[in-house]
Amino acid sequence: MSPSALRVIDFGRVAPLRSQTLWHAIAHGVSAGAPPTLSLMQPDAPYVSIGFHRRLEEIDQAHCRRAGLPVYRRMVGGGPVYLDEGQLFFQITLPLDMVTAVRARAVRDALAPAVEAFRAVGIDASVEKQGDVVVGDRKISGHGAGQIEQAVVVVGNLISRFDHAAAARTVDTPDQETRDEFEALMRRYLLPTPADPIAFASAATRAYGSALGLDPEVGRLNGYEEEKLAEVDGDFLDEGWLRGHPRIPPNVWHVKVKAGVLLLRATDGASHAQVSVAGGRIVRARLTDPELNGAAAVTEDSLAGLTVSQGRAALSALGSAGDRLGSLLHEIERVARA
Amino acid sequence: MTVQTVSGFAVETDLAYDLERHMWVSRQDSGVVRIGMDPLGLETSGTLAQLSFRPDGGVTRGEPFGSLEAEKFVGPLVSPLSGRILAVNESAMADPGLVERDPYGQGWFIEIAPARLAEELAMLTHGAEAIVEQFGRKIRQYRIEGVLAE
Repeated sequence: MSPSALRVIDFGRVAPLRSQTLWHAIAHGVSAGAPPTLSLMQPDAPYVSIGFHRRLEEIDQAHCRRAGLPVYRRMVGGGPVYLDEGQLFFQITLPLDMVTAVRARAVRDALAPAVEAFRAVGIDASVEKQGDVVVGDRKISGHGAGQIEQAVVVVGNLISRFDHAAAARTVDTPDQETRDEFEALMRRYLLPTPADPIAFASAATRAYGSALGLDPEVGRLNGYEEEKLAEVDGDFLDEGWLRGHPRIPPNVWHVKVKAGVLLLRATDGASHAQVSVAGGRIVRARLTDPELNGAAAVTEDSLAGLTVSQGRAALSALGSAGDRLGSLLHEIERVARA
Repeated sequence: MTVQTVSGFAVETDLAYDLERHMWVSRQDSGVVRIGMDPLGLETSGTLAQLSFRPDGGVTRGEPFGSLEAEKFVGPLVSPLSGRILAVNESAMADPGLVERDPYGQGWFIEIAPARLAEELAMLTHGAEAIVEQFGRKIRQYRIEGVLAE
């Protein structure tokens, strides 16, 4: 492969495990001197992946077992994600010294050629400041990034179709109403963009080659990467790896749909406050308190459109129930701001 | 604690620094060494979302002792010193914002019993004059490279 090459490897349809471990192996390879690489693959069955730092308990493991959904922990960031045959995964893997030290910029720079590829196949995509690839205010690609040894990999996907109900089912939620709300938020803010994956892959190849000033060349895993692949396969199947490090559960249950769109729930005894937040405003609220005395629905409706902070102030008119619920909103606000 | 402002960054000059790995080192009275992240590390990382530290065991200078996630980007935290981990900051793991709010105080990462302190401290930057000079140089380098805004 020439020194000015961008290695391109399209693995086609692969097993769920390999749709994760292949690009982890490539990262080790690039760290050891393999060329910058654009890799692509599609899983041949659905599964769930969880980000490096996240708690396994965020996933409804019992449901995943019953549904035959494997769960794998990846070495890049982000939360629990539902992945299936309707998605084309792409990864750009670069030597560490080709990547800026500023993480946010590194992610946006790495996704910019993907945005060009989306546009080339007729999707009016852009990348937001926080790195989400969107059409309007709706996310169209999941992404994550990580440094593996001396390489950086940034991952994304073309989501041609998405089973919002199946995805919502895999997340551990306090109750069915919360899960329904999560599904509703995903339907609103996560947009599948049907496109020809072959056309997208070609466009991505051209865009990444141009952005990096490298000539795309079709390649394959080298011997070291093949060895690493077997090792990573084993790591990913290890129960200890999947379990991850023990982490303290957060005070406020929450799940993020995209940057700025979250569903949060705080509890204190018999009092519960749940809010969906988008763009800093409450979309919907669900409040429970023994002393609300039938005022829940009206109160919930009155919070829509307010900031969480304004919502806290509005609740102060409800006496002791308002105080309790306001405290819960205070906890929610702290998490939503983080 | 003596803090000087270097090109807009608050730098505690009573510590020692590994400027390449963006870590500060503080010798405690007990002989234990505390390690945390310097302001340039915080600036380039972005809003910290997750922190994870190895709970115990040995650390080697130049090798990871934990990981950090910011902007969905996971990366290693690399140790400036060798030794044995004695304690990790569980509060920072539970609330990574603590590191941004109080990077030199409550936002420390790990405490170690150092194995080669004299030898490895000599490789770090210490002394107010050297710290200010080298931080300034690092900031200028980052600005030329476009890592930091002018």
